[in-house]
Amino acid sequence: MYGFEAMTFNVKDGYLEAMVRGYRSGLLTAADYNNLCQCETLEDIKLHLSGTDYGSFLANEPSPLRTSTIVEKCTQKLVDEFNHLRCQATEPLSTFLDYITYGHMIDNVVLIVTGTLHERDVQDLLDKCHPLGMFDSMATLAVAQNMRELYRLVLVDTPLAPYFSGCISSEDLDDMNIEIMRNTLYKAYLEDFYRFCQKLGGATAEIMCDLLAFEADRRAIDITINSIGTELSRDDRRKLYADFGLLYPYGHEELCACEDFDQVRSAMEKYHPFQAIFSKLSFGESQMLDKAFYEEEVKRLALSFEQQFHYSVFFAYVKLREQEVRNLMWISECVMQNQKSRIHDGIVITF
Amino acid sequence: MSSGGGGARLNVVPTVTVLAVIKARLIGATKGHQLLKKKSDALTMQFRSILKKIVQTKEQMGETMRASAFALTEAKYSAGENIKHVVFENVDQAVLKVRTKQDNVAGVKLPRFEQFSEPGEGKNDLTGLARGGQQIQLCRGAFVKSVELLVELASLQTSFLTLDEAIKTTNRRVNALENVVKPKLENTIQYIKGELDELEREEFFRLKKVQGNKKKQLQRQLAEAAAAVAVAVAAEAGKSAADGANHVADPYRFGGQQEAEEDGDIMF
Amino acid sequence: MAAAAAGGRSEEGALIAMIADEDTITGFLLAGVGHKDFRRKTNFLVVDSKTSTRTIEDTFKEFTSREDIAIVLISQFVANMIRFAIDSYRKPVPAILEIPSKEHPYDPSQDSILSRVKHLFQADTGSAVRF
Repeated sequence: MYGFEAMTFNVKDGYLEAMVRGYRSGLLTAADYNNLCQCETLEDIKLHLSGTDYGSFLANEPSPLRTSTIVEKCTQKLVDEFNHLRCQATEPLSTFLDYITYGHMIDNVVLIVTGTLHERDVQDLLDKCHPLGMFDSMATLAVAQNMRELYRLVLVDTPLAPYFSGCISSEDLDDMNIEIMRNTLYKAYLEDFYRFCQKLGGATAEIMCDLLAFEADRRAIDITINSIGTELSRDDRRKLYADFGLLYPYGHEELCACEDFDQVRSAMEKYHPFQAIFSKLSFGESQMLDKAFYEEEVKRLALSFEQQFHYSVFFAYVKLREQEVRNLMWISECVMQNQKSRIHDGIVITF
Repeated sequence: MSSGGGGARLNVVPTVTVLAVIKARLIGATKGHQLLKKKSDALTMQFRSILKKIVQTKEQMGETMRASAFALTEAKYSAGENIKHVVFENVDQAVLKVRTKQDNVAGVKLPRFEQFSEPGEGKNDLTGLARGGQQIQLCRGAFVKSVELLVELASLQTSFLTLDEAIKTTNRRVNALENVVKPKLENTIQYIKGELDELEREEFFRLKKVQGNKKKQLQRQLAEAAAAVAVAVAAEAGKSAADGANHVADPYRFGGQQEAEEDGDIMF
Repeated sequence: MAAAAAGGRSEEGALIAMIADEDTITGFLLAGVGHKDFRRKTNFLVVDSKTSTRTIEDTFKEFTSREDIAIVLISQFVANMIRFAIDSYRKPVPAILEIPSKEHPYDPSQDSILSRVKHLFQADTGSAVRF
């Protein structure tokens, strides 16, 4: 079917692709960010945002504004738009959109699992969950008292069940570090998403596999750096790397052996895309790595809009909007905490 | 009685013994006053240095907390807004605790806080493993530093309150000694001295009177004797009797003088 | 009395309690200050727009009367809500510390302790000729 998407794509997905491209032009531009950086108070930010696609989304909020309110409302806008797309979608786009939400779903499940094990109030926990990662049976999670029960009663019915059964044995469930569980699940999710995209074929497979590979590589590097000096052993570390991407499998071997940031750096400089990222950082400095990755990711995501007739735009749009929310969070925090000198350090401009 | 009567005084019997006791008490009170004054000065010195430190540290705290808050923003930017929920769920046993110790400044016990870490890995070590872990660790470092500063500040503040209280108490004692106890003792001494003077004057007067009386008596006797002599001369019958009377009167006179001299010794 | 109480606390270490906004508490929890006892009672209270003054006051009283707490950190804007309770608090242990929150920069003039300090400091420097 490769190369012939143009013939059939618009029959089912043309409307939604048009819509998502419309949404994309609503993303904040460099000029918008420049204006936002000039703001002195959160009220100014609100004023500026009301001139963009966000419109009057903050109109009903009582003063004084809080950063968390702005972030919440922005996320809500993304969720509304996403749900609109999801409702209109047909197979296989609907499954593709579902896959996008699984990442948040993993976070939510992990949050609820920790919460339930600590006997927290379920309603409180549900309020804290990311709205994109909600699933129907979420509220019933409270019935479970321990992990095994939780899995048997609730998680089996969620789309995440195969990830649980595939990589975590029931003995592991009880005494596993929650972060390791989260990353094990995420690895399984990425691999599954990767396979799904390959199955879709065409331009979608081409672009999405590239994006997911980058995500997998980024996670591998981040996990390596962040686990230096913790109790996470090399083998455990190796188990958290997703089995695809540019670094798989030889890069993973090298990452496993790394004991400090500079070793990671020298290992990664052999790989072209990462060489560019690491060359931006001065020696021994790892602080701005996250931002460098964000920038690279945004660049790749923005490029996916250059092609037509594929699903990656949906993925790219959601990710770009998430970055935008992060930018807004950064700007408003800087404004509120009077740290305007740092304001440009956290903004990744999309277009 | 003009000197001893003014102001409050102790209700004592004005005797020489009591005077000695009161004098001893006055010396004690003066010494105590000096010591307390010194203590108060020492505490005040300490107090002032603490005041200065508190003002400095409070200002420093503003800065540190600002830096910490921003570190948290950086962590949230890298690891996502959801990180705080993860942190909240991970709360279990406190790793960072404070220990209380005591310092001793001029006999005042000042509580001092000292922070320490419980051995064992923090549960947040792996938080943000796949994204933002570095920033989270940085943020944690920033807040640990804040806690250090805050603990120091808490020590200062507690010392401040305790010292404040101690200084007040000490000053109250100093003032009580200075304005109540010492004047009272001094008044009492004045009073006793006055009373004793009075007694002495009375005694002196009495003795004078006795002496006067005796003189009168003597003169009368002399007069009588003279009269008797006159009578004897006149009568020439009782000459030997008048001699005997002269012998009797002499020892009386000497004894009286001696007594008066002894009294004076005691008094002056 | 304070000394005796402090003596009891020093054996296994005392806690630092917090009443503040969510972000400040998140930071301190990251530092490892957070504690949950066997009855799942925590040593912190998150104050947001929905928290009532009454809850704050009750929590403040609870923290200040708990044996295992040596320091109570309280955000200044929260402290302003229960200023009367803080002003009438006189015990040296647990110590009450007012901390700034990111949304409310630190204002020394509102601090109960610092206003006393400043007051004394001025009175002191005025009569400090003898030193």
